[in-house]
Amino acid sequence: MSKKETIAVFFGGVSPEHDISIVTAISSVIRPLELDGRYQVLPIYISKKGIWYSDSSFKKIETFSGGGISELLDKLKPVSVTFDGGLTIEKPGLKRSKIKVGIAFPAMHGGNGEDGSLMGLLRMANIPFVGCDMPASVIAMDKLLAKQVAEANGTPVVKYEYLYADAFAEKPDKIIGELEKSLEYPLFVKPTHLGSSIGISRVSNRKELQNGIEVALYYDNKVLVEEAVPNLVEVTVPIIGNEVMMPALVERPLINDNNVFDFDTKYMNSGKKSGGKHGSQGYSELPAKLPGKLYEASIDIARSVYKAAECEGIARVDLLIDSKSNTIYFNEINPMPGSLYSHNWRKSGISNVELVAKLIELARQRYEKHKKLEKTFSTNFLKQF
Amino acid sequence: MKYYWTCYLPSYPKVILYMLQNSEYRVGDFLHWYYRTRDFRKVMKRRQLIWTAKVKLLGLVELLIILAVLTVAWLSVSLSIWLSILILLLMPIILVYAIVIPLWAGRALIQRPKEKRMIAKATAKLDKHPAKKIAIVGSYGKTTTREILKTVLVEEFKVAATPGNMNTPIGTSRFVDTLDGDEDVLLFELGESTIGDVRELCEIIQPDLGIITGINEAHLESFGSVENTISTIFELKDFIDDSHIYKNSDSRLVRDNTIKDDPKSYSKKGVAGWCVDRVDVSLEGTKFTLSKGKKSIIATSKLVGEHLVGVLSLAAAVADDFGLTTKEIESGLKNTQPFEHRMQPYKLHGAWIIDDTYNGNREGVEAAIRLLDQLDAKRKVYVTPGLVEQGNRKQEVHENIGKLLAGVADVVVLMQNSTTQFIQRGLESAGFKGELQIIDNPVKFYTHLEHFVAEGDIIMLQNDWPDFYE
Repeated sequence: MSKKETIAVFFGGVSPEHDISIVTAISSVIRPLELDGRYQVLPIYISKKGIWYSDSSFKKIETFSGGGISELLDKLKPVSVTFDGGLTIEKPGLKRSKIKVGIAFPAMHGGNGEDGSLMGLLRMANIPFVGCDMPASVIAMDKLLAKQVAEANGTPVVKYEYLYADAFAEKPDKIIGELEKSLEYPLFVKPTHLGSSIGISRVSNRKELQNGIEVALYYDNKVLVEEAVPNLVEVTVPIIGNEVMMPALVERPLINDNNVFDFDTKYMNSGKKSGGKHGSQGYSELPAKLPGKLYEASIDIARSVYKAAECEGIARVDLLIDSKSNTIYFNEINPMPGSLYSHNWRKSGISNVELVAKLIELARQRYEKHKKLEKTFSTNFLKQF
Repeated sequence: MKYYWTCYLPSYPKVILYMLQNSEYRVGDFLHWYYRTRDFRKVMKRRQLIWTAKVKLLGLVELLIILAVLTVAWLSVSLSIWLSILILLLMPIILVYAIVIPLWAGRALIQRPKEKRMIAKATAKLDKHPAKKIAIVGSYGKTTTREILKTVLVEEFKVAATPGNMNTPIGTSRFVDTLDGDEDVLLFELGESTIGDVRELCEIIQPDLGIITGINEAHLESFGSVENTISTIFELKDFIDDSHIYKNSDSRLVRDNTIKDDPKSYSKKGVAGWCVDRVDVSLEGTKFTLSKGKKSIIATSKLVGEHLVGVLSLAAAVADDFGLTTKEIESGLKNTQPFEHRMQPYKLHGAWIIDDTYNGNREGVEAAIRLLDQLDAKRKVYVTPGLVEQGNRKQEVHENIGKLLAGVADVVVLMQNSTTQFIQRGLESAGFKGELQIIDNPVKFYTHLEHFVAEGDIIMLQNDWPDFYE
């Protein structure tokens, strides 16, 4: 019997979304991959301190939910990584083993994983990996940069400004004054690099704006301030694909009392409101009940931004709709949606097992395509020295 | 020999107990299974050992046998070290045979005489019982027939039926012991696996009415031939007049052994002058009309599948014979529900799962594939480990399943075992264009089904593969 190819699933990480990443990895990636049966799954858990570990117990959610993870990590030794024309993970201990990684599956959310840094490392290792490549991840994980790309692509975005931590620390009143001059309340204040809506606030006056900025600066050095969309309908469109894109259903997530689709609403309040579907992302309307043209237009805009940002593999494009003027604004891109948004894919007719299989196929396709490109160039340049 | 060392694992005695329990302490089945097993680490996959009093006692016997063998091996060292080694090498096999001896002795000296007394008591009790006694015989479809009849007849009568799989002489006797004596109708499911089984049960029951639900190759290994199966099932005729035996003519082997236009034949076309019309099958249930002269019955049932029209009609005809009104019959039919694990539909994440995991016969598989064909779905998935006990027809039966599936299913999921290659061959020969998945861990598959399904799918789960068959 031929040996199964190893898929390394990376999760955890130094990120506020560390715990969500664990759930995504175990429930939506590792389990379907194991059920698929074609691969050897190697879980690579990155602790909150940034140390890499691998242990078969990481395939079970109980390892993390039971509260004994710190004790377990104390006993385990970190893995080491070798770039040997590929990527080899060495597990220390009595049964020291070297495992050659065939494909990588980053299941990370937030900084140092979803932001392109891990993708850069995997690119250097020259192995296929699932999801967006480094440039798309960088764009997607910077809300400001993503807006600028969408704007350049001709996609409507809400009116926005941005500020940096240093400048704000120096002259907070001046910056707030400029923001008030340029934008109209109510406003949204967002750290530019965080996902899962962490650190976002909706503000209606100067005092709230100042607080909101301070909260956002707690998480990030760059803060985005943008106008709220009146008559808001927020929708999200998960997409898979490389050049050929395949959108799932347009989904309308639950919005909390402050009109923010925040962390608690997304991950903690699942099922507390009546009606709708309780997906992995809590309450949502799936498919979103939008008038025919708005539904199709949302998909078109999502596809257009996905392409403009050079997303590949999987991403989720969030949109804001003014339901009176029927204007659709691009909001942000999430290059690794929580739990892969598997509830939406399932509703769209793609099972969890099929979804991960498709993502791996897309990763291989991209890798093969890149491999064909000439990457070196022979010159006589060194001979002159 | 490669895995002989697994007989020395600490879990080995427990595995032996597990195998005994799961082969229902039938020594022949147990030894068959034992000799087929190579790697004893892979036996306890599907179930757990249940620590009953019998298991605990046998566990103690095992411990004593092991201690005795070790003592003999130790004492033999003074004679010859090689003899000791030989004894130790044979210890796993000695254990197996030594554990069978108390089982056999217990059966012959205690159980058999006790059973004989129970059977005699049951025969006497039934002889005086005033109820109509209905014997249900066949290779398949007995439980379904029994349950449908019971559901319809309770509209008017006090009905008792053999529960679960109490279909042996001793099981039947135990059931008879529980009867109050004032029942109007008694339904007996007759189990048969060797010649004379039906006769033995009929001698106890003395039935007034018989139903032959179908004949196929089930238990072919114990019957030896289909002819033997047929003659065993038709042993019913020695106890009931042919005009009182309903026969399912949807079953080819029953049809071939019945006179043409037998008034007691039943099928999806009708029964005893009742004609079936306007059949409508969906995952919500089955609907049709039955008419005979001026009488008309609108049959609605939650049971799913065209193959059940025959037996639903039979229940209506028997109920009519017994004097139930049209209204009562319609109400009784309406109360019929899918049985657990038999064409039982339920929703999972927007997909329809049809749980047919107790279906372990060829006719059932064909009916399931036909149903899958009739239904609309985004993706039709058929999951099967194949069928057991097909004797020398194993290859033919499974190739045929593959051929039938090729034109119906979009995805075929096979549980890896000895029949997989034949189903695969059948699929290939019929030009199957869909997706084929071969699963080597069925338990994992069934317990994580939610990861395999998506909205719009219909997943038919056919499975009846106890692990001692492999």
